[in-house]
Amino acid sequence: MQTTSRLNDVKHLRDIFNAQNSKALKKAFDALGSSITISEEDLEVAFNRYFVGPMEPVADPFASVYLDNPDVVMSQSTLQVRELYETMGFTYPLKNVIPEDHLGVELDAYYQLLYLEEKKNITYLSELRHYFLHEHMNLWVPRFIERALSESEHDSKAITFILLQLKSLLIRETTIQGVTA
Amino acid sequence: MSYSKENVESIVNNGLSRRSFLKGLAASGVLSSFPGGILQANEDLNTKIPYLGEKSYQTFRNACPRNCYDTCSIKTYVKDGVMQFIEGAQESTYTRGGCCVKGNSYVKRVYSARRLKYPMMQVGGKGSGNWKRISWDNAIDIIAKKLLEIKKEDGTLLGAALTKYSGNFGITHYGIEGMFNSIGYTTRLAGTPCWPAGIDAQNLDMGDMWCNDPEEMKDSKFIILWGVNPAANSIHSMKYIYEAKKKGAKVVVIDPVFTEAASKASQYIQIKAGTDGLLALGMAKIIIEAGLHDQKWLDANSKGYKEYKAYLDKEIKLDNVSKITGIPLAMIKELALSFAKAKPATIWMGYGMQRHTNGGSMIRAIDAFVAVSGNIGKYAGGARYGHLSTWGFNYAALSQPKPEGSVGYSGPEGAKGEFAQVGGAKAAYTDRFLNINKTARELLNAKEPKVRLLWVACKNVFAQDFDRNQLIRAFQQLDLVVVADQFFNETAKWADIVLPVATQFEEYDVNVSYWHYWLTLNEQAIKPLFEVKSDLEIAAMLSKRMNQLQAGSCTFPQSVDTKAMMVKEFNPGIYEQFGIKSWEELKNGPVKAKAVIPYADGKFKTPSGKFEFYSDKALELFGSALPAYLEVRKPYDKFRMTSPHSRWSLHSQFQNLEWMEDVHPEPYVYINPDDAEAKMVKEGDTVAVFNKQGLLRVKAKLTDNVQAGTLLMYEQWYNNNIYNVNELVDDTSSDMGAFKTGAPGVALHDTFVNFRKL
Repeated sequence: MQTTSRLNDVKHLRDIFNAQNSKALKKAFDALGSSITISEEDLEVAFNRYFVGPMEPVADPFASVYLDNPDVVMSQSTLQVRELYETMGFTYPLKNVIPEDHLGVELDAYYQLLYLEEKKNITYLSELRHYFLHEHMNLWVPRFIERALSESEHDSKAITFILLQLKSLLIRETTIQGVTA
Repeated sequence: MSYSKENVESIVNNGLSRRSFLKGLAASGVLSSFPGGILQANEDLNTKIPYLGEKSYQTFRNACPRNCYDTCSIKTYVKDGVMQFIEGAQESTYTRGGCCVKGNSYVKRVYSARRLKYPMMQVGGKGSGNWKRISWDNAIDIIAKKLLEIKKEDGTLLGAALTKYSGNFGITHYGIEGMFNSIGYTTRLAGTPCWPAGIDAQNLDMGDMWCNDPEEMKDSKFIILWGVNPAANSIHSMKYIYEAKKKGAKVVVIDPVFTEAASKASQYIQIKAGTDGLLALGMAKIIIEAGLHDQKWLDANSKGYKEYKAYLDKEIKLDNVSKITGIPLAMIKELALSFAKAKPATIWMGYGMQRHTNGGSMIRAIDAFVAVSGNIGKYAGGARYGHLSTWGFNYAALSQPKPEGSVGYSGPEGAKGEFAQVGGAKAAYTDRFLNINKTARELLNAKEPKVRLLWVACKNVFAQDFDRNQLIRAFQQLDLVVVADQFFNETAKWADIVLPVATQFEEYDVNVSYWHYWLTLNEQAIKPLFEVKSDLEIAAMLSKRMNQLQAGSCTFPQSVDTKAMMVKEFNPGIYEQFGIKSWEELKNGPVKAKAVIPYADGKFKTPSGKFEFYSDKALELFGSALPAYLEVRKPYDKFRMTSPHSRWSLHSQFQNLEWMEDVHPEPYVYINPDDAEAKMVKEGDTVAVFNKQGLLRVKAKLTDNVQAGTLLMYEQWYNNNIYNVNELVDDTSSDMGAFKTGAPGVALHDTFVNFRKL
């Protein structure tokens, strides 16, 4: 596995889930290397139906929804992630605005932790990264993916592609850890 | 394993190991090596950052701003910027430390995954479900340009309409009307779907709507809960009713439906809907004939008693009263006489009773009965309906001047609603008022100019306004519908732009009740989540953008702080009434207005200065000077359908939360077993309920809590469910409301339907 691709995949997925408009979303989507052609607007409309709203989305991108309570954000799991970030040396400018366990924020944390190890050879947070991956992300992201993929009513090739990329990323990361441990 | 779970959890959750880990982190070079993203390196890393277990609670003062008698004073517990739980404020003897289950669910409401999070635009047309995120700047820009376009093309802003009602009764929320005031003369959906006929009735009789303090009910000797169900909808009042009952008072519930309150009463009397006024007239006749009326009080304080008595003598036949109301005559006599003998005695009239075509006349008849019994102006007595006597704020957020040169409607000016009637100098123009209780019809029919933009705030139009099918047509013909809300409801579904608004925990405000006498500060307890903004901030953004596009086009402040706006609402009158020197004292807890017994001084704000059995104003406006019996709307289909409040929701609010969905997951139509049997309907069957308005499919529940001949469905909005009782309710007016609230009420309990098994 190429480090660059590993890091880039996390980064593009992060950018997809943090996109605030069609343009940013499409740019990150294209960077993932899909051959699917879709307009900026169609991609965003589908993405919002799956993950954003304003109608109840197919799958909420928050850990708390899978780990604590299907109806709430900013609950116990969110605060545990907050504690982890603080211990990792992060500050979060959107504290108490966007819950720390939003998928885009978690992918950002994961990307930065991986970057330290792969690009800077700093392993001080390696144990925390593995913990975050195995004891947190891996407990909910697969369920999130599964819920979104099981949706057939709004079946979207582009969204399926994103979800499968996320799924491979997760499998890859958890497996690499297993090999190198 | 490349990590040890125990080790990491000790680092995260144990003060000592966390400190030593953070020391090492600072030395490791991590902080200068993070690439940066949403998360940033903590440059001021403090190795003593407390872990969660060490973080302490902060408390804040809040109020429940919903359209509810109880308007609870709340204390909110926040840890590290996150609401943990709320409780009722102990300082208020009314809230007395407890909220209802809806209030207790506020943490889940604020942090509901279902909240609207971002401004969004529906790009595939209204109802398409195709939504794009837009920035606040973009959203406000679209709205501002549309407003200026309307003004340019029409020469006025009457093509812009506002519908706002009771979703948040905080005083600064009148800033939403203020926003529309600040752009020019516009169109307003005026009036109230809630209680207008009763407001007019009380004003005709007594010159005001002014109820005794509910806390006095503990000393009442006889209480009639007439068409009101406090056991579900004003639970804090129940403790006073229980106390009175414990001390020997009789508590009687008169209601067409066997309610939760009825189950707690000494006696329940099932009355036929729409005949309450006649019962009150009969009861008055009985006590006058028995010589139990308060002649002395009547002589000193009333006008037209003679005419009223003559009317009772001549027109009211007790046998007829019994027949029409469905109540045995002996029971009516016993009720009237025992009420008259108990002193003080009181009647609490609910708002459902006046949602009939004869609703105002019924409230007048009950007022008259209480007056005859000598219980007006007495401690623990009174004809209770509601009050606005603690609402004397400045309405600073509301009172925005029109931009210079604004042109508007040149029709007559009238009342716009029951709250916040701020007088001003007579202007050459006014806003255009459309009847809120005929929203669909009025939006479709408004001409010269037609309505092109509709702003919806503090209101779920589709859940609360009538004739859903006509509403859809009305929304579809509008150029731009803006819905500012907290959740995606049916109204948002038909919007072009949705704007996510703050909850009361994310802004400052101040709250009073239309029932009790407490004043509560509402502090901002947490940061606004996601991209939500307060209604006032939205107004300020709009003002800023409009002024950039066309200087002087909007007078609303271009930046606001909800706290500063809240402070501006206070005045010496409020301080005097509540015995405080500054609003800051409210940080210590809610305060109560100085005790006053309404009308104890015998002064009424009627034209005669007395209680008016005979009202010239009533004759002029509604064709009857006396509270004479007015027959209710004739049935136009087989069954009466009533759509009261549910205890699981407040109008369209709260039902979408987990706790309510757990106990009350879906809507039902409640049918009397006799009616069900005739239609071969069993418990749990899906039935179609239909009439000339529309058709609803809903599961049946059989109960003799409802009378034969009547179906009951709660007015509610359910998440992910197309159920909407207004599919069936038409917009027929009640008799009164236009006098004091700008438009007649709506006779929604005079809806008739049929049903069949599916």
